[in-house]
Amino acid sequence: MEQVKNMETIVALSTPAAAGAISIVRMSGKNAVQIADKLFVSVKGKKPSEFIPRMLELGTFNTGSFKEHCMCVRFNAPFSYTGENVVEFQLHGGMKITEGVIAACIKAGARMASAGEFTKRAFLNGKMSLASAEGMMDMINAESEAEIRAGYNLLQGELSKLAKTAQDELTDLLSEIEVSFDYPEETIEYVTKNTVKTRLMALYEKINATLQTANTGKLLKNGVGILILGKPNAGKSSLLNALLSFERAIVTDIAGTTRDTIEDTFVIDGTKFNVIDTAGIRDTDDIVEKIGVDKAKSLISGADLVIYVKDGSTPDSAEDKQIQNLLLNKKHIVAINKSDLMGHYDPKENEIVISAKNNVGIQELKNKIYQISTDGYAVSSNIIITNERHKDALSRAAESIMTAITNMEMSLDLISIDLKLAYSALGEITGNTTGEDIIDAIFSKFCLGK
Amino acid sequence: MKKNYDAVVIGGGHAGNEAALALARTGNKTLLITLHKESISFLACNPSIGGTAKGHLVCEIDALGGEMGVQADKNTLQLRMLNNGKGPAVHSLRAQIDKVAYHKSMQEVLENQENLDILVDEASDILTENGKITGVKTSSGNEIQTKIAVITTGVYLNSRTIIGEDIKNEGPAGFKNATHLTSSLERLGFAIRRFKTGTPPRLESSSINYEAFEVQRGDENIQTFSFMTKKQNPNTHVCHLGYTTPETKQIILDNLHLAPMYSGEIKGVGPRYCPSIETKIVRFSDKERHQIFLEPETRENSEIYLQGMSTSMPRDIQHKMVESIHGLENAEIKKYAYAIEYDCIDPLELFASLESKKIDGLFFAGQINGTSGYEEAAAQGLIAGINANLKLKGRDPLILKRNEAYIGVLIDDLTTKGTLEPYRMMTSRAEHRLVLRQDNADQRLTQIGYDVGLVTEERLKKFKRKMRDIQKLTELCETTIIKPSIELNTYLASVGQTPLASPCPLSNLIKRPNVGLSDLNNHIKSFKGFGKAVVSQVEIQIKYAGYLMRQNELIERTLKLEEKTIPKDIDYLGMHGLRLEAREKLDFMRPLTVGAASRISGVSPADITILLMHLS
Repeated sequence: MEQVKNMETIVALSTPAAAGAISIVRMSGKNAVQIADKLFVSVKGKKPSEFIPRMLELGTFNTGSFKEHCMCVRFNAPFSYTGENVVEFQLHGGMKITEGVIAACIKAGARMASAGEFTKRAFLNGKMSLASAEGMMDMINAESEAEIRAGYNLLQGELSKLAKTAQDELTDLLSEIEVSFDYPEETIEYVTKNTVKTRLMALYEKINATLQTANTGKLLKNGVGILILGKPNAGKSSLLNALLSFERAIVTDIAGTTRDTIEDTFVIDGTKFNVIDTAGIRDTDDIVEKIGVDKAKSLISGADLVIYVKDGSTPDSAEDKQIQNLLLNKKHIVAINKSDLMGHYDPKENEIVISAKNNVGIQELKNKIYQISTDGYAVSSNIIITNERHKDALSRAAESIMTAITNMEMSLDLISIDLKLAYSALGEITGNTTGEDIIDAIFSKFCLGK
Repeated sequence: MKKNYDAVVIGGGHAGNEAALALARTGNKTLLITLHKESISFLACNPSIGGTAKGHLVCEIDALGGEMGVQADKNTLQLRMLNNGKGPAVHSLRAQIDKVAYHKSMQEVLENQENLDILVDEASDILTENGKITGVKTSSGNEIQTKIAVITTGVYLNSRTIIGEDIKNEGPAGFKNATHLTSSLERLGFAIRRFKTGTPPRLESSSINYEAFEVQRGDENIQTFSFMTKKQNPNTHVCHLGYTTPETKQIILDNLHLAPMYSGEIKGVGPRYCPSIETKIVRFSDKERHQIFLEPETRENSEIYLQGMSTSMPRDIQHKMVESIHGLENAEIKKYAYAIEYDCIDPLELFASLESKKIDGLFFAGQINGTSGYEEAAAQGLIAGINANLKLKGRDPLILKRNEAYIGVLIDDLTTKGTLEPYRMMTSRAEHRLVLRQDNADQRLTQIGYDVGLVTEERLKKFKRKMRDIQKLTELCETTIIKPSIELNTYLASVGQTPLASPCPLSNLIKRPNVGLSDLNNHIKSFKGFGKAVVSQVEIQIKYAGYLMRQNELIERTLKLEEKTIPKDIDYLGMHGLRLEAREKLDFMRPLTVGAASRISGVSPADITILLMHLS
């Protein structure tokens, strides 16, 4: 574990590493200001340590090899993103300039920040909650728009909000249950098991609905795994190329050309898809081909969605039957390829007629892929769980609530054990695990006194 | 009286007596200083011991070798098991106590205790040298040398009683209060706080029309507080239940300006769970009536405690309020209700051993630590006494964990979270409630009590016998195969269970809802010679095995944090990453384990993550 004490000064590019009008280089840590003093001087002749905090100053950054005319701003700890002393430089766009500036900072005593290190420090310094920090990290590491949306929502505390609401409901329910143990002889209406059960069912539904989106969340984070299957020469590689919109696989007319799997990524509507092309499945004596086939079979279980490419110009072969058997219980789309060589065909529900070679039906196929893999869940839905820790905590909460519901014939003090487990699981998201609020709720709700 | 003692206990209430007995019984020359002998173990408020969660505390005090349970059993007028219809974890004993007999009986125990002297005087000054206790001075000029002082002043420190505008500098029930010690504590650097509590009027029994009330009887054949009590005292008295009327409410609302609680006269912080009747009426204005109980105080006089009517209203208003209740139209008030304010310290200034962080050898226990209740006081007194002895013997202090005892929860709450109002024990404060039952207090604590020198050989032997029986009967339940029979199935049907179709172990049958081990035995007669407590213990352990397992898993998880100790000299103020509030709180509290740190209010889970990073 790294030492939080005496934080080293770190530096990195804070804007996307792509061509843009402006690039921002951020430096954070104990010596950020001293280092900046060595490198930057404003047009008024002031060093960053003499700036008014949070005021932009125009000036010159001297990298040693070139001078960059740019803006500089200083943030004093703890009033900065990381909670440490921070200096930021707003530079002209262009990798040469930013690289030169960062190199100069490093030469003067900073070190290159690792991915997410600014945010990690912000968390360590108490600038943001764990959930917010994790949301920010997800955003930083996001590769697709949908993932950024999910990260953003988490950052906004949507999940915390749900966990908080669920915790509040449990607090309320527990206070009603607990009061009957601590004050058994009061003239208050004690909660009945029926009420407890009804309210728990409602709560379970709510948490479970969010949990359902967890799978979508995982797809967003890791991308949807798509496997392309089909007998040799059905057009798998052509389809892959059509999906990726550029020549990726070697397309030949010889069956079995694609001996190993090929992996790549494409994006539909902001969602990332990882596509894997495989060797055609058929019984063969060719050892290399055999390895490819076995791998394909195991890959089926690992994929989120299978696209089965069928040669529409030839009748189903034994190999097609074999593939169809393998896909009986698997979410899949049948892409009937070579429409240019086919007569009229009415596709069934999970079928799409395409011509990979001529780019016909590819957009329809993409729509279908998107619709099936996100399973009807709106990707922009407010709460999508992208973080395994949150998913795990929510599942445990739901599980404990279900245990309470199914054991409703037991006495309420035993039921309360499972409810407290649910409460503390939710607390791993909200940060509140003390349970003191249950006692407060008892006193604010009931008139007690013995 | 000598001039030199191993330990001096200041205050002869429920905390002080347990502390003094624990010290004397472990061989220390002990002096108990009390303002008056009449107030030794005086039940100043309600004439009862036990109740929800408090019953648990008394059973634990008993298992550790304390005195309260023994004396409560001996002086019981009526005994009930609260929450009897609910699960075993929340069963709570509550006894109506003969308060005069209890006081006398406890005084006798103290006076006959070897190594223990009693001095009637007022402790005025704690003497220290280099941060260590050297002696105690009294207001009549005595100076006693000692290494240990246990302060258990209850509600007597600078106390004042309030009845309307009539304010007196005195202790409860007109007893003299203590006025010197506060300034001594302030000199030693303790911040003094002011808490408040109150008590209802006492009525003349013969002036009450009991016809208007509902009778509340005691329970027969239930568990007693003490493991050593052979037979439960017969229930000789009953309590009565009644209600305030709309008239009562009106009288209070009309005279609210006379209530010191609302006129601003009372500044002390009162408990939320024991509010005065005027507070109840103001805070819960939609409630038309409030419950009251009539409780007998003693065999020696005819005073009745009017529970639920705690107030600090002027006397004439108290008459009107009492007379507005059905059955109390002609009631004679023997003692007026009053509020009482007193000095106490912040328990955050204490280690979990109850020794103060500032002064070596100075312990605090009971209401001065901001708690309320006889049971909470006695529990702390016992632990302070035990730890003072262990300190004198050079041994490590006894710190009960939250999963070991309600006493552990109590002291951990006080010393890590502190309290902003008089603290009362509640079952909902114990997160591991299922394992902290009254019925297994002996199993949890007898050995510990023996190790610290308070449990006698006789008790230990009796306890070991019980444990052997529990083991034997458990094995019997697991190995005895029960075959279906007409008699058994008739019984099962009578408790709403389906008939037994094929043979199964006895333990499987016990797991069914409503099926009791002793009931079952009446029908299948497969075991004999086991006591009631043993049978019910085995039944609980088998019936709730699943829940007990889950609770234990949770305990294991939390124990990991408890076992992570924090170096005493750790620098929180310079700990990078900690929020300022957390730094200050941790620096002030200096918790001994990460578990204790995690329970400090103002320390967030993120702070704990950072603390763990620094420790790793």
